[in-house]
Amino acid sequence: MSTKVTINRLATGVPGLDEVLGGGLPEFSFNLIAGPPGCGKTTLAHQMMFALATPERPALFFTVLGEPPLKMLRYQQQFDFFDSEAINQSIRYINLADDTLAGNLDEVLRRIVSEVEAHSPSLVFVDSFRSVVLASQTQDNPNNNLPQFVQQLGMLMTTWQATTFLIGEYFTETDTNPIFTVADGLIWLRQSVERNSMVRKMEIMKMRGQPTLPGLHTFRIATSGIKVFAPAPLNPVEAPQKSPIKRLKMGVPQLDEMLGGGLPQGYSLLVAGPSGSGKSILASTFLAEGARNGETGVIAVFEQRPNHSQNTTLAGLIQSGQVSLVDSRAPDLSIDEIVQLLLSEISRLKATRVVIDSLSGFELALAPTFREDFRESLSRMVSALTGAGVSVLMTSELEDRYTDLRFSPYGTAFLTDAIIVQRYIEVQSRLLRIMAVVKVRASAHSDELRLYRIDNNGLQIGEMLPDQEGLLGGRPTRRRVGKEEA
Amino acid sequence: MSTLSEESRQIVASLAHRVGPNADIARIAQAIVSILQDMGAALTPIIGQQGVVALYRRSLHICVSTHPRLAGTYDSVQASLDLIALKFILVEQNETDALFFGDVLLTTFYELLTTLIGPSLTARLLRGVWEPSLSDTLSQETSP
Repeated sequence: MSTKVTINRLATGVPGLDEVLGGGLPEFSFNLIAGPPGCGKTTLAHQMMFALATPERPALFFTVLGEPPLKMLRYQQQFDFFDSEAINQSIRYINLADDTLAGNLDEVLRRIVSEVEAHSPSLVFVDSFRSVVLASQTQDNPNNNLPQFVQQLGMLMTTWQATTFLIGEYFTETDTNPIFTVADGLIWLRQSVERNSMVRKMEIMKMRGQPTLPGLHTFRIATSGIKVFAPAPLNPVEAPQKSPIKRLKMGVPQLDEMLGGGLPQGYSLLVAGPSGSGKSILASTFLAEGARNGETGVIAVFEQRPNHSQNTTLAGLIQSGQVSLVDSRAPDLSIDEIVQLLLSEISRLKATRVVIDSLSGFELALAPTFREDFRESLSRMVSALTGAGVSVLMTSELEDRYTDLRFSPYGTAFLTDAIIVQRYIEVQSRLLRIMAVVKVRASAHSDELRLYRIDNNGLQIGEMLPDQEGLLGGRPTRRRVGKEEA
Repeated sequence: MSTLSEESRQIVASLAHRVGPNADIARIAQAIVSILQDMGAALTPIIGQQGVVALYRRSLHICVSTHPRLAGTYDSVQASLDLIALKFILVEQNETDALFFGDVLLTTFYELLTTLIGPSLTARLLRGVWEPSLSDTLSQETSP
């Protein structure tokens, strides 16, 4: 076993990319970064280059045709990772435009090899490789054999112990292209546009010798560079529940009783109710109760004006740092981005309580391209959060329908471990509120429909209405006592 | 900008240094051309020959349009990066005029590059052009 070659994996310096690659970039691999114009290929290359290059093992960046180097330097230095001091030290740019224009692939190869021999780089980039190919095709020269060129380049670079990236504009991955065959790694960048929303996605179509995370992964380009949102790792084996179950207090004593002693730790709780029924108040009470016991919390608010709608309790908790507010109004969110935001705040604060207010706002905040998969996304988010060991309270806006008992407009009620439902009822010309615990997985709980009201001290749970029936129909009627007694 | 004036000062000092104490017109012309050559040599591997030619032509254009008294003399060299032609014109000027032109052209070139790729990267790429002359090791840079 020990005689097998060990392939070192290089940390790319791009947040999330190492996870998606399945543990980093294999050393001495020969890779293609492909995608349509403007998808971030050159930026990805630069970010990795600045992270990995050292004066001892420098990087060579061959610019060919395509983006003029002056412009590339102008725009790339807008990113935080760009360090002018590294240029001509650990990073060398080499312009091959004239050699490429001649269309002689042998000459291009000779130039690349001679520069590689002169500098012994650890990293080699060719941008854009596509233009090398196109330039060679315009020449009516039978000696320009592209497969042979690519094969030789790949072999030479690996022999010179250089990890190589060819950067190219390719539009369809189904092309039979010799580069796709020779490359050890294929990183495909895409832009998915739907209506006014654009989401960047990355796919590792191939990475020899290691298990990459399959599928499309969203990423963003900010001034700090590219950030890939790798899906949160799921614990394959969930820790068995400790008995007795530790329960979290909700901040409303009667509600704790109804839940059978509080919300079991690590549970997800859905609070469903119509507008104004007090879901957000219950959510902030839940966080305040945690803070009172020395716990920290995270709240994700998906509202147009999160500060506007905050109640004073919550604002105080956020102010004091006991609760962290995740208020991502960045457009075109992906579920992985939100989960990553939440998880990083959870680990920063060592939080135990998480609130998502509300699922309806969350759905709107997602890019349209993800809305179709909302149920699946939600399921992933709930498992990622509960997998992190926190207890999650989610609110869900629910239009009151008195013909059936619904818990969420998404058919997602089954995803959560516990459900509290709130409704309006009409009694004696008053709009009253009732609340019930519908479900607490693996735990006894109350089956009572209880009146509650909201005052300055929060949510106050009252009595049942035993003399009324048909509460869930919204218009209860007085039970005819005499008949039953007869 | 203070950084630019600092760089301008360096360029002027570097040119004066290359010219040396006996400022005859041949030495001045040679110094200007050699600095341009060194700048070209530093930049060509990175931005390509065409990139350097484009910068040179734009610099000449700016010089001539901001200093009309240079127009008549240097209009003809704008066509290409022909340093021999430039030198040919320079040696026909008097010392003061040639030095003035050299200062203006080199500073303009430097500032132009700065507007495109920023002061720190420009300084980084062209450091080698000024450094030998500033560190008083004339012998290093006179070899072709």
